[in-house]
Amino acid sequence: MTKLLEVNDLRKHFPIQKGIFQRTVGYVKAVDGINFDVQRGETLGLVGESGCGKTTAGRCLLRLIPPTSGSFIFGEEEVDLAKLTPHEMRPFRRRIQMIFQDPHASLNPRMTVGDIVGEPMRVNRTEQGSALQDRVVELLESVGLQSQDTRRYPHAFSGGQRQRIGIARALALQPELIVADEPVSALDVSVQAQILNLLAELREKFQLSYIFIAHDLSVVEHISDRVAVMYLGKIAEISDAETLYQSPKHPYTEALISAVPLPDPKAQRKREHIRLEGDVPDPSNPPTGCYFHPRCRYATDICKQETPELRQVAQGVQVACHHSDTLELQGV
Amino acid sequence: MASAEKTPYEKPLLEISGLKTVFPTDDGIVNAVNDVSFSIARGQTVGVVGESGCGKSITGLSMLQLVPSPGRIEAGEILFHRNGTDAPIDIAQVSPKSELMRQIRGNEIAIIFQEPMTSLNPVYTVGNQIAEAIVLHEQVDKKTAHERAIEMIARVGIPAPAQRVDEYPHQLSGGMRQRIMIAMALCCSPSLLIADEPTTALDVTIQAQVLGLMQELQAEMGMAIMLITHDLGVIADFADEVVVMYSGRVVEKGTVDDIFYNPLHPYTQGLLKSIPVLGRTAEKTLPSIPGTVPHPLTLPVGCSFGPRCPERMPECDQMPELAETDGKTENGRHTVRCWLHTDLEGKG
Ligand SMILES: Nc1ncnc2c1ncn2[C@@H]1O[C@H](COP(=O)(O)OP(=O)(O)OP(=O)(O)O)[C@@H](O)[C@H]1O
Ligand SMILES: Nc1ncnc2c1ncn2[C@@H]1O[C@H](COP(=O)(O)OP(=O)(O)O)[C@@H](O)[C@H]1O
Ligand code: SF4
Ligand code: SF4
Ligand SMILES: [Mg+2]
Ligand SMILES: [Mg+2]
Repeated sequence: MTKLLEVNDLRKHFPIQKGIFQRTVGYVKAVDGINFDVQRGETLGLVGESGCGKTTAGRCLLRLIPPTSGSFIFGEEEVDLAKLTPHEMRPFRRRIQMIFQDPHASLNPRMTVGDIVGEPMRVNRTEQGSALQDRVVELLESVGLQSQDTRRYPHAFSGGQRQRIGIARALALQPELIVADEPVSALDVSVQAQILNLLAELREKFQLSYIFIAHDLSVVEHISDRVAVMYLGKIAEISDAETLYQSPKHPYTEALISAVPLPDPKAQRKREHIRLEGDVPDPSNPPTGCYFHPRCRYATDICKQETPELRQVAQGVQVACHHSDTLELQGV
Repeated sequence: MASAEKTPYEKPLLEISGLKTVFPTDDGIVNAVNDVSFSIARGQTVGVVGESGCGKSITGLSMLQLVPSPGRIEAGEILFHRNGTDAPIDIAQVSPKSELMRQIRGNEIAIIFQEPMTSLNPVYTVGNQIAEAIVLHEQVDKKTAHERAIEMIARVGIPAPAQRVDEYPHQLSGGMRQRIMIAMALCCSPSLLIADEPTTALDVTIQAQVLGLMQELQAEMGMAIMLITHDLGVIADFADEVVVMYSGRVVEKGTVDDIFYNPLHPYTQGLLKSIPVLGRTAEKTLPSIPGTVPHPLTLPVGCSFGPRCPERMPECDQMPELAETDGKTENGRHTVRCWLHTDLEGKG
């Protein structure tokens, strides 16, 4: 496997401004130094509770917002996308696309489906005239829609169909990497499975790589080869999907798994439930030491003082916890 | 107070039968709830599950005469056996604005919704809002109500209650706001709590806290819970009985084990197979149900699930009745609306 993307020490700190002069009184450390890589053809899942920085990380990667610091080494060229000017970024924009959570809000209601899917090609002048029309139909068919659908407007489609339109648009410029931010969270259960299958099928067909962002662990486990668990702007653990859920190495991962109710009443009755106390802390005023320590049942003195670094503990497993070597944590 | 579990009531707390709630719209009449029947026993949790638009919320709102206009209950009974002896009240016949309905709401049947921010008033402190709910139903002075509010906030597990009582909703996290809603709903010890997607807007670890709290309070106060959700995991965790709805109708109901280990309706079967389950990494393609839920104004002829059903037969052009299954399950209460399990006379 070859590396497609390497993210080093990505940070995004949003200033908190107060008063009439909009003085900066502090920072929301939405993303606070994360490292991961994505191999070609791989799906990396990014999972964590709301506000932990998943969306912000994705938006930085696409340069929709400027990162505070960090580098994104992309492609065989090993170009650092974080350092490019908007003009230099242009050819790379085509190669990285995004799919959004709310298929309703992300499609222009006054454009036909054909125009929506064709727009990236028109803007980038990759196709024109009848070639463009053919390509639109081809894209729609590859996501399970039909050629007649080009003339219809988004409101005439269900949530799942709208998500398909969003996917067709993201595929238009033949990207290598797709950042999908909660792409199935707004969908009904029965439709969610259709879209997950479609994403998996398209990945094979077009040799895509995904960064799949979601808060639902079961969905992330299903689609991902590897999973990164985020907590308060940092990565707690990265591991291949199966290892992560069978034998988590970070106490937060363990708690997160335990909180997911399994659709299996007997198993659910037998499970030991770890209930985390309290809420996720405010990212503008994170705790000292390990950010998870106020809610961690294994915390010791060192956890209050020193921030654990993400380090390799086994082949393909990285964990940010002082005690991961000695803890016996339970999986699913 | 009588012990909640051992009281030998014959009648369930609530019996809904043939409930039909409709919305007249410009394009025709939407049958949001169509011939829905199920009952809720005292102290028990009934989970109502189904996809968006299948009629879960409108069923809940009908039970409190809170259906938004122009919607109305068109047929059916909602028999509320408020205690074991008196004749039941048919809520379907009680006027929404009547004194009786006001008494039932809050005092006997309470409801909480998915997004607590929309049900809490942003300009009053949470303490004021809880106290108001208490004063509305009990003869206590303001000071006592305020003290009771602090007690309730402590009871739902919010730290520093004496300080939180004077805070406004926006100062609290989503999980805390939902706890406040639960505090308000439970301050008058209702016999039934309708919880409409109470944890859908919350993170999983907070969801686990809130569901755990509801379970504790239920054990303590003995109330029945009708838990509306689209999350089968939450149902498996919490419900005793399960009602599965599809486009306005009940398609299957039974105990939680019936539904999960012996689902009979093709829709229930499809739904259970299509969800990714944590720890079952093996299969990479999910068996999905083709198509989407039909639009309520253009329902297919016969069984509403027909166009998506892998088992469709000629009979399915007629709507099957909800019927008892033929004793294939441990208890006789497992019922299903499907021709595969019903003969043409409509019997299971
Ligand atoms: N005010 C209204 N006017 C017209 N139709 C309505 C109205 N409220 C609800 N409906 C329709 O009634 C049906 C049932 O709606 P309901 O809100 O009970 O669904 P639900 O199962 O709670 O869905 P969700 O999971 O999305 O909350 C739907 O077809 C809906 O479109
Ligand atoms: N434009 C912004 N200005 C200030 N704070 C922001 C902005 N966008 C996000 N945040 C904050 O950054 C944190 C991470 O947000 P987000 O990346 O959206 O989380 P997630 O996608 O994991 O739910 C949150 O505390 C959020 O409130
Ligand atoms: S470093 Fe300490 S507080 Fe943090 S997760 Fe590990 S044991 Fe818990
Ligand atoms: S009645 Fe027929 S179409 Fe409907 S669920 Fe049963 S087999 Fe399928
Ligand atoms: Mg997000
Ligand atoms: Mg609803």
